[in-house]
Amino acid sequence: MFIRMLLLLPLLALTTTSSGAARAAQSQGPRVIEISAERFEFWPSEITVAEGEEVELRLRSDDTIHGFRIIGTGTNLAIPKRGKGFATTRFIGAVPGRYTFECNRMCGAGHNFMRGVLIVRPSSRGTGP
Amino acid sequence: MTGLYRARRNGRVLVGWLTVVALLGRGPALAQQSDPEAGFPSTGPLSGYMEFHFNKADGEDGILDFHRFVLLLSHSFSSKIRFVGELEVEHAFVEGLEEAGELELEQAYVDFLLSRRLNVRAGMLLMPIGIINERHEPPVFNGVERPFVDTVIVPTTWFDVGAGIHGELGRGLRYRAYVVAPLNSLEFNAEEGIRGGRQKGSEDNVRNFAFTARTEYLGLRHLTLGASVWSGESNFATPRLAPSVTVGELDARYRRDRLELRGEFAQVHIGDAARLNDSIGRAVGVSPNIASALRGFYGEAAYRVWNAGAPRDLVAFFRYENFDTQFRMPAGFLPLKEFDRDAWVTGVTYYPDPDVAVKADYIYLRNQSGIFANRHLVNVGLGWWF
Repeated sequence: MFIRMLLLLPLLALTTTSSGAARAAQSQGPRVIEISAERFEFWPSEITVAEGEEVELRLRSDDTIHGFRIIGTGTNLAIPKRGKGFATTRFIGAVPGRYTFECNRMCGAGHNFMRGVLIVRPSSRGTGP
Repeated sequence: MTGLYRARRNGRVLVGWLTVVALLGRGPALAQQSDPEAGFPSTGPLSGYMEFHFNKADGEDGILDFHRFVLLLSHSFSSKIRFVGELEVEHAFVEGLEEAGELELEQAYVDFLLSRRLNVRAGMLLMPIGIINERHEPPVFNGVERPFVDTVIVPTTWFDVGAGIHGELGRGLRYRAYVVAPLNSLEFNAEEGIRGGRQKGSEDNVRNFAFTARTEYLGLRHLTLGASVWSGESNFATPRLAPSVTVGELDARYRRDRLELRGEFAQVHIGDAARLNDSIGRAVGVSPNIASALRGFYGEAAYRVWNAGAPRDLVAFFRYENFDTQFRMPAGFLPLKEFDRDAWVTGVTYYPDPDVAVKADYIYLRNQSGIFANRHLVNVGLGWWF
């Protein structure tokens, strides 16, 4: 029983978050944030979402392939080269805080400068880490 | 029935749990902390860029030159401690005591990524001066060769050993500030200014340290503004003199839709230039005629005339450059006007792939001497990044 509950716990947590988001999606869909990547910057490099908000990040490159990794989450994807489409991922601001994102594919001499931050603002309820 | 029901229910739970794992990896990124090392490649793949050129000046034989073969290596000791190295072979062939080519360690540093605002970097560093020095991959700039201003006023590729800090203060304001080795003033000259004075991290003399810094503002969409400074005493080879060097630089880039505009202004001040000329003149018999100020600027407009995505991707550009390595002379010295130059550069960059650039340009290079002929140059090049 205990093991079953342990298995169910993350599912319930996600379902709760997702069902809220799903209801929002059914009505208007998640907010889409366009991010452009270019040696050696993301624009915008600072993105703010509300706690519990789900956003769709749409990433497009203006030059070569870049990586997009949000440190501390499972997000890790490649942004295709200029003119080859875009990559998307969704981000749910479940826990307030600052989440650094970065290019994790070597893109030139200034590669390590290519970073940004996702800020999850706590809701008025004041829940946070 | 009950057992079958439980098995099915347990199966659904397991599938649900696996779905969570899959979603965390590929779907919505939940804002919750997990292992910060997850998904981070410990060693990056080998990267690099190469470019070879055909250069033809009027009245001279053409030259085919494999100008640069550069390999970039990276390694992450952890997500917060990273190494980047850049090893370059210039002009394809290196031979001792010859001017044939160069094997250069242009970058080899370790980054300690502490926070968004403050990070520490140490090793062989690129000086953060101007548009090109830190952004010199062939597909990034127009023209077969780098701009003249970024060659003789800002001596790209300008690198040396040092340490410092870098970060982003928020709202698109970035900075980097390093303490680095100084220049060797004995190697300055009239034609190329301070270029010969780079110690390049090879048993650098650091009687005095130099300081360099750059701020960039990226807070407005499509626009990047930059300001750089380099300042240091270059007197270790001439201890009785005080040939301080200060480089100030401003630049801007604007890109929107098919249009890209670039501009850069750079000025170099060399202190005690008169005594430096006298000192070198006495040592070698000829005064190098080093100026007390060098100045250069350029403006470039580029338009993507074919914008259907590679391989239907063509940029046409025009650039005007003005650069004078004899801009101001110390008392008692006259400027050599052949080094007061300007250049009209026009050409195209074709991208069969976003990382491959086929370039062609024409340059009208004029000088103010009235004795030395102006030059017409045609260049064709192929460069790539991987």
